[in-house]
Amino acid sequence: MSAGATLSKRLRGDAFLYVLLTPALIYFLVFHILPMAGMSIAFEDFKLFGKSRFVGLKHFVILFSSPGFLIVLINTLILSTMKIILFFPLPLAFALMVNELRSMVLRRFVQSVAYLPHFLSWVVIAGVWIAFLSPTTGGANQILGMAGQKPVDFMTSKDHIRWVLFFSETWRSIGWDSIIYLAALMRISPSLYESADMDGATALQKMRFITLPELVPTMVTVFILNLGFFMNAGFDQVYNMMNDSVISKIDILDTFVYRIGLVNMQYSFSTAASLFKGVIGLALILSTHRMAKRVTGKGLW
Amino acid sequence: MAARVKSPLGDRFLRAAIGLILLGICAAVLVPLLNLLALSLSDTRRVSELSGLDVWPKGFSLIVYKVLAANQYFIRSILNSVFITAVGTAINLGITSMAAYALTRPSLPGRRFFMLVVILIMVFEPGIVPEYLVMKRVGLLGSLWILILYKTVNVYYLIILMRFFEDVPLSLIDAARVDGAGHWTIFRRVMLPLSKSAIATLGLFYGVMHWNEYFRASIYINEPSKYPLQVILRQFVVLDDTSALIGAGTLYSYDEAARLSYAALRAGTIIVAIIPVLMLYPLILKYYTRGVMEGGLKE
Repeated sequence: MSAGATLSKRLRGDAFLYVLLTPALIYFLVFHILPMAGMSIAFEDFKLFGKSRFVGLKHFVILFSSPGFLIVLINTLILSTMKIILFFPLPLAFALMVNELRSMVLRRFVQSVAYLPHFLSWVVIAGVWIAFLSPTTGGANQILGMAGQKPVDFMTSKDHIRWVLFFSETWRSIGWDSIIYLAALMRISPSLYESADMDGATALQKMRFITLPELVPTMVTVFILNLGFFMNAGFDQVYNMMNDSVISKIDILDTFVYRIGLVNMQYSFSTAASLFKGVIGLALILSTHRMAKRVTGKGLW
Repeated sequence: MAARVKSPLGDRFLRAAIGLILLGICAAVLVPLLNLLALSLSDTRRVSELSGLDVWPKGFSLIVYKVLAANQYFIRSILNSVFITAVGTAINLGITSMAAYALTRPSLPGRRFFMLVVILIMVFEPGIVPEYLVMKRVGLLGSLWILILYKTVNVYYLIILMRFFEDVPLSLIDAARVDGAGHWTIFRRVMLPLSKSAIATLGLFYGVMHWNEYFRASIYINEPSKYPLQVILRQFVVLDDTSALIGAGTLYSYDEAARLSYAALRAGTIIVAIIPVLMLYPLILKYYTRGVMEGGLKE
């Protein structure tokens, strides 16, 4: 008999459940709850050594009046809009196209290839894209060259970098994010299509009048829940694709918090920015969760 | 089943167009990756002939991988990553599944309170500075254990597993209880075996998460000998810092290496970082995709 079973015998009944739960609770406490409590330094002049002083809203006043913060906020909103609203129809379109494939082999191949980038780290993806977008040896510029265009250094171009983020996010997620639609497509009753076939409907008509309406609840859920994460414009992506030439275009709240906090070591100021982001994010997630629950009966949890 | 009607001509054109678009998307995913593979395998004398769109090496040489294998920091970083991934995933699965079991027992006193804690963690992030200060205080800075422990329980995965455990028929649990089984026996002999595919899926996700982790390693670890692979990769490929990877000693022990281009070395490093993901990928497709399609895993 294992040690667990012996202990479970000794602790009668449900007390043993706490034994099972304790490791997770310790983890939650150390890695989540204590840091949350530690956010109180946003209201202090925090010192690593010696006594910290309470300063009220000082750091928030500095934050809201600094021009750098406004740029960061605008960048966050622009990038989130591109990645949530502009990107939104793409996985749906991808799922609809995959759904039209009649060959199972082709279907499986397309899905297997398209899901893959989701599992690569942003470090790897940045490496792949930096190579592919290189102005001298990269494939993208060779395509431009065939079309008679001059090479562009995309990674350092202020005009292009946001689109680099948009397309690399698309490259990574178009397949993976389509899974939820493909799963919903499986649940559509085949009899709907059969009767449409009897009536001689074309593929486009079936897509327009059967498939799309059946997908609306899934679309609404995905859209609303994505809105809840509007303040997260993609730290890992920006962190790995940013350089000095384009920082003014893609510096977002999370990279700002990291830089002033852990690079410049302005602990309290950085935490004030985190708290601002956290509170807005919390409000967004809670309201989108309620909205999703009301509209579709399914929320985030 | 209705009799198979021949599709209208327009439909066949549409499907052909769709097939081409999808193959185009596949090419857009694969060509940049295969190009790096080709670059890393090309003969060093012919590497300049390789275009950014080529997917087949010019000539053949393993020199890139020989140079990488001779670099002790590189090998060390792979071992660190393997250690973090293996130990981390085992701890993740153990602690997450025990918590999921306890939290799905209706008889757990204080269950609603614990669920509130889980949801709070899901919706509110404290930010990196407060986390850093706590890590400093508990003495985890600089230790590989921080990378193993920092995501011990992913709350989303916890909730997915809880939904699985909730779906286990109560009659099975009651039957075990009548036979005198305690919670541990029910957990080990009933819950885990019935949730094998969910646990395998979560294990794969946790594994990929650990393998891909770079950010916390780069802020919490400052000894190069403890870096995981992704940190070395980031220094070399993203920050263009060659000192981390290339000790002069190793480079000149090969004749061919003198001609070696950084671009090829970078490509080889990226490929090495992708290989373990590719090895797990068939399993991910098998477990996760099947789970989603059968409606077992809810997004």
